[in-house]
This record gives sequence, structure tokens and C-alpha cells, in this order.
Amino acid sequence: MEPQQNKELADLLGACGRGDRAAFARLYEATSPKLFGVAIRMLRREDLAEEILQECYVSIWNNARGYSVALSAPMTWMTSIVRNRCLDTLRRPRIEVSLARDEESGEDPLAAIPSEELGPLALLQRSSDAKALADCLAKLEGKMRQAIMLAFFEGMSHSELAEHMQQPLGTVKTWIRRGLERLKSCLGED
Amino acid sequence: MRYRDNTELQDRLAAEYVLGTLRGRARLRFEGWAREDAALRRRIEAWQERLNPLAEAVSPLRPPRRVWKAIEARLGTDASTPGRDAGRSGFWDSVSFWRATGLVTSGMAAALLVAVAIQKPQVVEVPVERVVKVPVERLVEVESTKMQPAYVAVLRDDAGKIVFLAYANRQSNELWFRRIGMSNPGGGMGYELWALPTEAGEKPRSLGMIPPIEKGTIQLASAADQALGSFPALAITMEPEKGSGGIATGPMIAKGDCQKFW
Repeated sequence: MEPQQNKELADLLGACGRGDRAAFARLYEATSPKLFGVAIRMLRREDLAEEILQECYVSIWNNARGYSVALSAPMTWMTSIVRNRCLDTLRRPRIEVSLARDEESGEDPLAAIPSEELGPLALLQRSSDAKALADCLAKLEGKMRQAIMLAFFEGMSHSELAEHMQQPLGTVKTWIRRGLERLKSCLGED
Repeated sequence: MRYRDNTELQDRLAAEYVLGTLRGRARLRFEGWAREDAALRRRIEAWQERLNPLAEAVSPLRPPRRVWKAIEARLGTDASTPGRDAGRSGFWDSVSFWRATGLVTSGMAAALLVAVAIQKPQVVEVPVERVVKVPVERLVEVESTKMQPAYVAVLRDDAGKIVFLAYANRQSNELWFRRIGMSNPGGGMGYELWALPTEAGEKPRSLGMIPPIEKGTIQLASAADQALGSFPALAITMEPEKGSGGIATGPMIAKGDCQKFW
């Protein structure tokens, strides 16, 4: 997300907070494709993703007044709302969602997911916000990076990661924990 | 609780919360802590700032038109100010709202709130009810241009509702106040304002009766520095109209921190 775009989104959110429905429509236009992408990727079901998206935008409208750009970038805030809602949903009808992941497309639903290779990280390089993160992810060991990205994009739990990566649960937990620690120190914040 | 004094553990949990690997009851419990703990929320936000840019790597996909139609239907045709969501709302959705609310009740932001509401009509003339919604950035702007050293207090009733704002320049004998939705008790009773001391053994000091008007001033017996300087909080009790005579007898109506602002 570029600074200019951040500013525009923050302004739109501010206008939403003042009850400006036209600004809300523009915010939706600008952000819903990305957030829908995030939801579909995590839930693997369009109907669920549509439902979640709908709930999230209602919530964004209702909470826009309390939003402050000084405290959180617009896309960070909205992405958190969507990812959180997706994680709530994944927690409930777990089996249903897992089945749908395999049946619907006929293709390997995880084919597009970053493996140990760096390929998809190249996408992040296009965005200035994400570039530092991409660089730091690239420095992680392959398995660690894969575990973190599967958890983020697919909403996989520790045990799902263990199963998918065919590793003991303890190993996967350690990868996640160490990977996050290293990301933090690589990003140079405390 | 073990997590409270273990910042390393807090940070690890915040990271896994944001990543999504903190699940089930642990996730809910953690959200419970975060509601109560502003420092923990900041850790969560820091991790959101670190990890959420990953979402940039997701291919965008335009949702079907029906999603927007459904959102519009949910919000109704009334394009007025958004209300609080009556439906279910996720934890994170409203967290920054709570935080903003929390900010205006404490320390500096409370000072600013009172300053904006009472001190200087030339700064901004708006009803207090609207000032509470002023974005934090705007409050900070006011601070940098207009503030003078002052004492400020925001008093809340039992239900946590702000009912009384107070402000006094440190060298002044005048305490400005504003009552918010406090009706007069009647029956020969009124409200008395107290400064509460730090030490449990010490007695509260009466600052005088609060006039039965929405906003005005109370004459302090000495400059605010002497009258308020060593008292960390203010309180209001219900007393006979002529005053309690120095020892509070009635029920406490409201209470809140009194902060130095300079």
C-alpha cells in the first residue's frame, strides 16, 4: 500500500465515520477485491467469503468513527477485521470447509500457496509496505517461511500445518515461533 | 496470571494471535485479556502492522454485486451517522473504538477533552457530546497550540458515564466545570465537589458546592496549585444544599482522576 493510497483510504474511513455513505461506497470499491481475495483464500468457499465480507463491511461502517489513522494503517485495520472473522469461521465448521477445499475446484487447492520456494514473494516486492516483510521472509529457512505463509493465507492451525507439512506438531510450533521471532528482529522493531 | 508479567510471552501470543495459529479457547481468552490491557492491544497492533502487508500478495477478486446490495440492505436507506452495530461484531472491529474512548478518559487526552470543552471558546465551540468523537489527531493539534498548564478532571458515575468535567489553570482560583446529564437532586439537596487525597488516612477536602447550572465556575479557596496539587482525584457527593460542612455525608455520585496537564 503506497502512502498516497493510505491517505485516500484513511480519508474515506474518516468520512464514513461522519456518516458519508458515498464515501463508504468508494471505500468498498477500492478495498473489497483485496479483502474478498483474502477471505476466499482462507475459507476456500465463495458463499462463506461473501457472507463474511458483508459482515465485515457492515462492521467497518459501524466502527469507522472509532478508527484513527494515527494508530493503524487503513488496510491493516480492515485486513485484521476480515482475517479475524475468517478465523472465527474456520474455528466452527472445520470439516465442512476442509471438504469444500478439496472438492470444488478439482485442482490442488494449495497449488497456489507459497512452498519453500520464493516465487510468490516477488508479488510483495511491488508494494513498499510489503517489501521489507518480503525481504525478511526470504531470509527465513524454507520450511519456516512455508509454515508462516500457510498459516497466514490459509488460516491453518498448528495441527493442520503438521498434517499438511507431514511434520510432528512440536516441530511446526517451533518453526512458527522462531520464524515470527526472526521476522520481528529482521523488521527491526520492538 | 503468568502472562501479565511476561512480556516475551505476551508478544509471542500476540504474534500467533495475528498470524492465526492461536486458536480455540486460548484465542478467546487472549481476546479477553486484550480487552482489558491496552499494552497488549498495542502488541497486537504492532504485529498486525508487521504481518498484514502479506495480504498484498493475495490476488484481488471482485466480489459479486449481490454482496454490496446485501450490505446496503443491512445498513438501511438511512444515510445518517453510523450507529453501533446491533448485530454480532468481531473483537478486533471495535478495538480501536474502545481505545479511542479509553484515551479520552485518561491523562493527556482527558485534559484535551476538557480544554476543548471548557477552557477556550475561541479554540473550538462545540458541545461536549460531540467533542468526545473528535479524532485523536485533532485533539493533539489543539494541545500544541493553545494549552496552558492546568489541572483537569473527568468524573464518571457508577455506570462509567462521564457526568462532570473540570478544569483549572494552575495559578487560578477559578475552577471551570461542565455537568453532563446530571439532574439536580431537589429536596434541599445539592452536589458537593471534593478533592480526594492519596493517603487513606487523610480527609477529602471540600472544593465547594456545584452550582445547579450546566456549566460555570467554582471559586477555589486558593490557587489550583494549592487546592488541587496534592490530590490525585476528584469526587462528587450528594449533600444538603448549604454544604456538608467539610465532612462528606451523602452518597458518592461520581469520581475521576485529577491530572496535571503541563
